[in-house]
This record gives sequence, C-alpha cells and structure tokens, in this order.
Amino acid sequence: MFKLLLRRILLGGLTVAIVSLIIFGAVEMLPGDACTALLRQDAQGDTLRVCREELGLDKPATSRYLDWMAGAVKGDFGLTAHRNKEVSELVGDRLKNSLLLGLCALALGVPLAFALGIAAALKRDRWLDLIVSSLAIAAMTIPEFVSATLLILVFSGWLSWLPGIVTASANAPVSAFFPQIILPVVVLAMVMTAHILRTVRSSMLEVLDSDYVRMATLKGVPYRRMILRHVLPNALLPAINVVALTVAWLLGGVVVIETVFNYPGLGRLMVGAISDRDLGLVQAIALIVSTVYVLVNLSADILSLLANPRLRTSLGRSH
Amino acid sequence: MKRFITAIAFAALGMVPIVHAAPSGTFRQAHEVGFGNASDVDPISKGRVFAITEKIMNRLVRPGIDGKPAPDLAVSWSSNAAATEWTFKLRENVKFHNGKAFSSADAMYSLKRVLDPKIASPARGTVSMIKEVEAPDAKTLKLILIAPFADMPLVLTDYRLMMVPDGSGDTIKNTGIGTGPFKIEKLDPQGTTVLVANNDYFDGPPGVAKMEIIGIPDEQARFQALMGKQIDLMQGITRQQRQLLERSGSFSLNDIPTGNWRGIVFRTDTKPWDDPRVRRAVRMAVDRKAMVDLAAGGAGVIGCDTPVGPKDQYRSAKTCAQDIAGAKALLAEAGYPNGIDLELPVSTLQDVWPAMAEAFQQQVAPAGFRVKISQVPSDGYFNEIWMKRPVSMTRWNDRPADTSLNEVYRSTAKWNESFFKDAKFDALLDAARAELNFDKRRAKYIEAQEYLWVNSGTLVGFHATVITATTGRVKNFDLVENMGIRWHKITVD
Repeated sequence: MFKLLLRRILLGGLTVAIVSLIIFGAVEMLPGDACTALLRQDAQGDTLRVCREELGLDKPATSRYLDWMAGAVKGDFGLTAHRNKEVSELVGDRLKNSLLLGLCALALGVPLAFALGIAAALKRDRWLDLIVSSLAIAAMTIPEFVSATLLILVFSGWLSWLPGIVTASANAPVSAFFPQIILPVVVLAMVMTAHILRTVRSSMLEVLDSDYVRMATLKGVPYRRMILRHVLPNALLPAINVVALTVAWLLGGVVVIETVFNYPGLGRLMVGAISDRDLGLVQAIALIVSTVYVLVNLSADILSLLANPRLRTSLGRSH
Repeated sequence: MKRFITAIAFAALGMVPIVHAAPSGTFRQAHEVGFGNASDVDPISKGRVFAITEKIMNRLVRPGIDGKPAPDLAVSWSSNAAATEWTFKLRENVKFHNGKAFSSADAMYSLKRVLDPKIASPARGTVSMIKEVEAPDAKTLKLILIAPFADMPLVLTDYRLMMVPDGSGDTIKNTGIGTGPFKIEKLDPQGTTVLVANNDYFDGPPGVAKMEIIGIPDEQARFQALMGKQIDLMQGITRQQRQLLERSGSFSLNDIPTGNWRGIVFRTDTKPWDDPRVRRAVRMAVDRKAMVDLAAGGAGVIGCDTPVGPKDQYRSAKTCAQDIAGAKALLAEAGYPNGIDLELPVSTLQDVWPAMAEAFQQQVAPAGFRVKISQVPSDGYFNEIWMKRPVSMTRWNDRPADTSLNEVYRSTAKWNESFFKDAKFDALLDAARAELNFDKRRAKYIEAQEYLWVNSGTLVGFHATVITATTGRVKNFDLVENMGIRWHKITVD
C-alpha cells in the first residue's frame, strides 16, 4: 500500500513537471510576448526594446524556463510579467475564491445528485425518473455559458432578484461574495449534479437488478432494510470516482463560468494571463491546477481502495 | 384664483436657481482591463487605466463640448508671432488630493516626464514638438517648440497629459494623486476601484459622492452587468444589444460620432501600390455608404479617406461616390488593364473588420481588383500583420486633426502604416502648423486632407459612431466623445 502510494506520488510529480513544460512551450509559441500584448500599436522601436529589457524578455526562452523552474522548486514563483506584483500573492487570493466557488457548488450539487439519483433509480421508468433523467440530460448538453447567460437574463435582467455579475474584488472577504456568488454556484452545480446523478442512477439500477438483491427480496428482507444495507453501499462506491473526476473538472470548467460571471478566480486569472503573455503567472496556475488534478485522482483511488474490501485484499495478496 | 396662485408658485419654483446639492449617490462603470496585471493609474504609463485617471486628474487644456480647446488647469494661453513659444496661465487655488497647491513646477514636471526618453511613455510622440519646458513664475508655464505649432493647446488635450505632483513619478501609479473631481479611496484596477468626491474641486463639488470603476474583461459580462443595472454606463454597445435595451425601456441610448476610424491600408512602398494611380483607383472603387451600412449597420460617418474625425473643426467636408469607370481608367493608365490580384488578411480583432473586408471585396471587383481574403489570428495582429503585409486592415482612435495627419501620414512618423513618403504633404502640414490665423490654418489642413484623397495609400472606410447606454437614473451625462466628458457634472437619482 505504502509503496503504491509513493509510486503514484512520484508519477504525479512527473506529470506536473511535464505539464509545465508543455504550457511554457505552448504560450511561447503564441505570436507576441508580454510587451507586444501590452503595447499593441506602440510596440515598436525604442519603446518595445526598453520594455523587453525591463521584463527580461530579451533572454532566450530556455534560460527563462530554467530560471522559473529553479524558483518554482524553492516555492518562489517570482513576479508577474510586468514586475509589479508577487505571483504567489495574486494566485493566493484567486485560488481561495475558486475554492469558495467550487466548495459551494459541491455542497449544493453532491447531496442533490445523490438524492435525485437514488430517487430516480428507485422509481425507475415512472414520471419522477423521466423528469429527473431528462433534466439531467438537458443540464449536461446545454453549454455552461448558455445556461449562465439565460439565468442572468431571467434573474438579474427581468426579475432583478439577484446580481448577475460579480463585482467583488479578488481580495475581498468571503462575505462580500454573497449574494453575487449564487448564480455562478447554481450554474456550476447544475452541470455537476447532472453528471453525478446519472452515474448514481445507473449504478443503483445495476445493483437492484443483481442476483443477491433478488435473493434478498425472495427471502423476505424488508424493502427499507434491503435498500439501506444491501443496495446503497454497493451502488455508491463507483460514484466516488465520478465525484473525484467532477472535482477535477470543476477546476477546468470554472474558466468559462468565471469569465461569464466576471468571478475573480483562477480561471479568469488564467485567461487574462494568457492574453497578457504573462508566462510566470500562466505557469503557476497550470502548476496548481495540475497538482490538484493529480491529488484528487490519487485520493479517489485510495478512498475506493479503503472502501472496497475486494480491491484491498487482492492488493494485499499480490504483495 | 387658486389655480392662478398654484401656477405662479410652480413658475417661481422653476425659476429658483439650481443650487449645488451635496454630492450624492454612486455611479458605476466598467472598464475592460485591457492592460491586465500592468494596469495602474500613472497617466503616461503603458498600463494607464484611463477610466480611472480621467476622473482623478486634470489636463492643462481639455476638449470643450464644442470640440475646441477649453481651459482646464490652464485658464488662458497665447503664443509669439512665430508660434514657436507658448505661454499658459495656470489656474489659481487648485489643490492636489494630498492638500498641496498646484503650481507651474508640477505642470513642468508632468510634461518633462512625458518627454523623458528613459520612461519611454507611449504619449511621448504626441508632444515631440516641445523642445523646452519652463516655469517663469508659479502660475505661468512656457513651452518652447522645435518648430512653429499653431495648435499647441489642442495637443495638450490628449488624455494622457494629466498633471501630477512634482516629483511623484515613482509613486503616482499607486497613489493616483491628482487635482480631479474624485479621489481614490481604494485602487484595484482588476477588481473594483472606489473613488470618492473631492469636495475641494476647483469647479465645485462633483454631482455624485462615489464612483465605482469595475474591471470586467469580458464584453458579454459587461453587457450583462448593464442589463442587471450593476453598472450605469456602457460605451460602444452593438445594434443588437441596443434593441434589447430599448425594449426594456429603462435605459438612455445615444449615438455619439467619434474620431475612431476603421480602414484598409496599402503599403505605398510595395508594388503595385507604389503607383499613386493604383492606390487611388482602389479607393475610388469603394462604395463607402454601402460599406458602413453593411459592416456597422450604418453606425458611422463617411468621408473621402480623411483620418480627421467628423466633429473636428478641421475636417474636410468632401464626399466621394463610387466611381468604377474612373477606377478602371486609372488602372489601365497605370499599366494594369487586366486588373490586380491582392490578398487581404483579416482578423476579428475589430468586430467590423470581417464584414468590411467582404464589402470591399465585392465593391472593388468590377473595377478589376481580385481580392482574396485570408483569416489571421487577432493575437499579435499589430506585430505580425499590420505594417508588415502589403495590404492590411487598420483602426485608429480619436485624435486631433494635426495629430492624426502627422502620426499616420508624415514621412518620418513611426506609425506611418502606409509608408507614405511625400515631401509636398509634409510641407502642407508644416505650413498649417505655422499659420496662426484660424481660417487660413483650417484651409491648409483641408488642403492636406484633399491631397491625401488623391495620393494616399489609406482607405478610411468610416468613422465609427459609438452607441452609449446609460441607466435611466443617470442625469447630466455629456453626450460627447469620451475624453471630453465632464465626469463631475454627472448626477444619479
């Protein structure tokens, strides 16, 4: 078990390093650099040369990447491309905000997904199941920016119940994000709920159709007891992995949501950093997102190992 | 009788002079965070956020509501007979937000900063005619120029030439200390910047107590913020958005003609555009009215390839209709009886460009120009395409007549995008600059514009009209080009 963990962590570290190299290469390949992005039509002659010297862009790409790596290993992400802010400070606030958004969406979406998924499976092919399943498919297929825009139009434009756009500053206290955060949370939770719900429903159905449940029914186990003791524990295990994948998706999915709602999180920062050609900042964000991705997947695997005796013992036997 | 008294009472109420009420309410506005992490409030830096600096600082001279230079921190000005030395009398009793009195030392410092080659400000080219800045006494500023320049006050209306305290160069980007109607309470260009009324403002306390300048990079998000009344102003909405807002009935919508122009530029140093007849032919073949209708839904003002804005006092009023036969004749004369093939790279950097390019392609085809439109990325457009390819799309923002003629067409201009080198044109500009009589100067600037119509390599499709939307509660909003708006006059219900 420990050996497996160690190997997974090392592999994760390698993944993160490769991701940073790919991101650096990709942004470097885009036309223009931090100076041309800033100066636009002014990017000529002396103005451009002075700017590039100031920002150290006159050095070759490889030496800039190695400098960045050397700093990053020590936990020093350096300054933004325009040398006026600490990357760590900038990223810190946004990370907190993205986590806030993600956690609120999880808190709303996960219980809802499980409740609806279980209910739909128990009432299979009845009207409740039909409604829940078709809503889930709708939520999955409508792109987030469309549902976001529609919600803003209805709740902010027509009804004036909720603010449509987040205007709180990145370093504002958590309380400043309410009620502005409600619409983005709802949109995020909608898509997430749909994905988890469908997994929960299908894995419930699989278990309900299994031989041992039929056996239990024939032996006269009371319905409630059968569902709680025999069906749920077996059906919910696969859902853990789906929740983990969804959390990882949240980190990428928030880019669109954060842009549409002007939410000051990592996603919006990333979009801005790419169009500013701010390599250091892009790298730091990519590092965070890929690290979280690796960690979430790792912990999901460990959780399923712990929760599933069969996986646990088969693992023990192989050692 | 009773009715009569009531009528008198109402009439009397109407006659009561409007007393300056204390500033009240909050005005909210979004800006696009175009400079990302480099955003700051140093008016001459590369990352200046003018949505903030225009409210906290003043220029020496501002664009008046009538388009002519109007007093700001300078109250009057005069020049010597040769127009090579200008004297500005500065306003008395003006204080910076930190309590320090504004004097000629501050003005001298502010202008010298712009001229400093080490700072390499993007605004430096605008004031390149200044040789020396002097402060003979505390309320007088003297500018000594390299060559005669009759419209020096107009140059000083540039939105970047804001007055900052003497010696504040290292701190101004964070403090934003100016003399303006609003002071910074909290600076956060990417989030929400909070400005509060400066009750000591020289023109009286401003109308609103607070302004929030909110960074919203996404255009759609800005519009949604306006729809939800989270912001009070949006400049440059589309025709479709206008219809949405009109239906809701609680917004005020206005068309504001600007000097921002969109065009197509032909490099006069490359074949076949090095022949003035060829570049004139391609411009003659364009139907400008149809182009502005197709590309911008009619929201624009057309002219004859002059870069001077429709509201400018020096604008040439010439109009020019599509002339296919004339274009064909010119082409044949230049030795291209079978027409010309050209490639036009187009990006979506400017929303009207693709439609403009397609209109152009159709319109010039009968004259023998076979246009191939190619898609190029918006990212890095001004580095990879513009001033590199023989033909490219272009756009320029509002500038005073002399500035745009000089920055875009003078032989030595760094932004001479068409590589137009014409000694006669340069001499026309010099003559206009040296002419102190307004009518004669105007005639010379118009002559220069008409010279461009015959010879230039730049097609000016149209000057864009900006649709400005304000929420119904905003009052006293000046309906002029952004840089001329008196922000302190605005009130909100």
